[in-house]
Amino acid sequence: MLLAGTLPAAAQAPVAAGWQLEATGLLYGEQARARVVEPMGRLTRLFANGRALSLGLAVDAITGASPTGALPSGQVQTTTSASGATTTSSSASLLPTHPFEDLRTAVDASWVEPLGTLLSATTSAHYSREQDYASLGGGLKSSIDLLGRRVTLTVGGGYNHDRVFPTGGTPVGLAPDSDPRVPGENPKEVATGLVGLAHVVNRRWLLGVTASESRERGYLTDPYKVVSLVDPATLLPDAQVTEKRPATRRRDDVLGSSVYHLQHDILYLNYRYYWDDWGVRSHTLDFKLRHDLGAAAWVQPHVRVYGQAPAWFFVYGLTHGPPLPAFASADERLGPLRTTTFGGTYGFHVPGSRGEFTLRAEFMYQWLVGHPPEAAGTSGGGGGGDHDLRRAIAAEAEGTEGNGRQFGTSIGTLLIGYSVPF
Amino acid sequence: MTSRRRTWLAALVLVATVIPGCATVHPWDRDLLAKKSMRFAPLPHELAVDDHIYFSKEGSAGGMDAAGGGCGCN
Repeated sequence: MLLAGTLPAAAQAPVAAGWQLEATGLLYGEQARARVVEPMGRLTRLFANGRALSLGLAVDAITGASPTGALPSGQVQTTTSASGATTTSSSASLLPTHPFEDLRTAVDASWVEPLGTLLSATTSAHYSREQDYASLGGGLKSSIDLLGRRVTLTVGGGYNHDRVFPTGGTPVGLAPDSDPRVPGENPKEVATGLVGLAHVVNRRWLLGVTASESRERGYLTDPYKVVSLVDPATLLPDAQVTEKRPATRRRDDVLGSSVYHLQHDILYLNYRYYWDDWGVRSHTLDFKLRHDLGAAAWVQPHVRVYGQAPAWFFVYGLTHGPPLPAFASADERLGPLRTTTFGGTYGFHVPGSRGEFTLRAEFMYQWLVGHPPEAAGTSGGGGGGDHDLRRAIAAEAEGTEGNGRQFGTSIGTLLIGYSVPF
Repeated sequence: MTSRRRTWLAALVLVATVIPGCATVHPWDRDLLAKKSMRFAPLPHELAVDDHIYFSKEGSAGGMDAAGGGCGCN
């Protein structure tokens, strides 16, 4: 999002004063899990002197189920949600999940202020609130045009002060799920810095490089995730504890972007390398090709490929008996995760109207890979990483040869957008 | 050389390859560049949605998925 504003002046069309309205609706569905309906709106006032004010509003209505982090037991099991108010039973062969529903409301505002002819500053702020989480933050970004306006250097920073107040209280980390929870809220602070370069290589080609770092401090644990304790004799889970993550995290990434105008089509390529001090490393490759269908319509296929190495404290389960490690999480999002996305956008103008409609449909597939002991690691104290737990348990539960792919998740999204200047 | 240093070195090399590539772009050559579609993110609403989805479903953040906008989903 920050990179979106770093276009070199040589590539910018003159801005006409006026208003711009964007309305978007998202339908998101995971196979047998979460469903999200998210309407969003954004109103932007563009001033002739280059100033711009933008206001955004989004509402997420989320229902469904989320994996608890526990392993399939090979038998029907019942899990109590964080609130203690709802329960769900998992079949022998499926990953246990807990039901949830939430409503998230988010508002944001930004102000662009030109400072002379070569420099501009963007100030932004946001607030969001959901049932058990609130976020308040702001940012400042400044861009300067260099080398005859063919290069733009952008420097920015932001700060979020978030509050986490889990339903039913905050669980004690790596303790039985039934232990009393601590009432009250937990702070979480995020500071982010960014530096970016965008460059007009020639009349057909834009290149950009952005590096960013964020530092998080506070309550970074997922209060609703658990880790299975596995009987070393039977390799079946016989208990579970709440997860626990470190209280700090430093994240870094470098993003390279290219926009190239072919004879008729436009090719967009992005590559990002990400690493953090939890041990997560990831590569993301994103490809889009825009093809015009005459003057009033276009299509844009999209492919995205993502792969990450797991956090050092990620485990599939912990051995029941030995002392527990300092930190452990079985959250798939911290595991050896892969994501592929395929989809496309169709855009068109209604005759006689200045507005543009876009319709995007995408399919995502996520799965865990690798040999679980390698994924769990042995150097970071992820205590239970000495067993091929997930494969063994999956094989036990399903009577098949276990592997990570059977825990894959299919996700479909449909996005409808309308943008109109007036 | 540590992984972190290697990454920063790679970033520097990438930047170094960007700067020397400067070519004169005359105003009359900016026809293609002035198109709305010739932006890094020509559809900001799609970018905002993708920020939220991938921040919620993966262990990474930043770059094209910057910040996540404050969310308890990860």
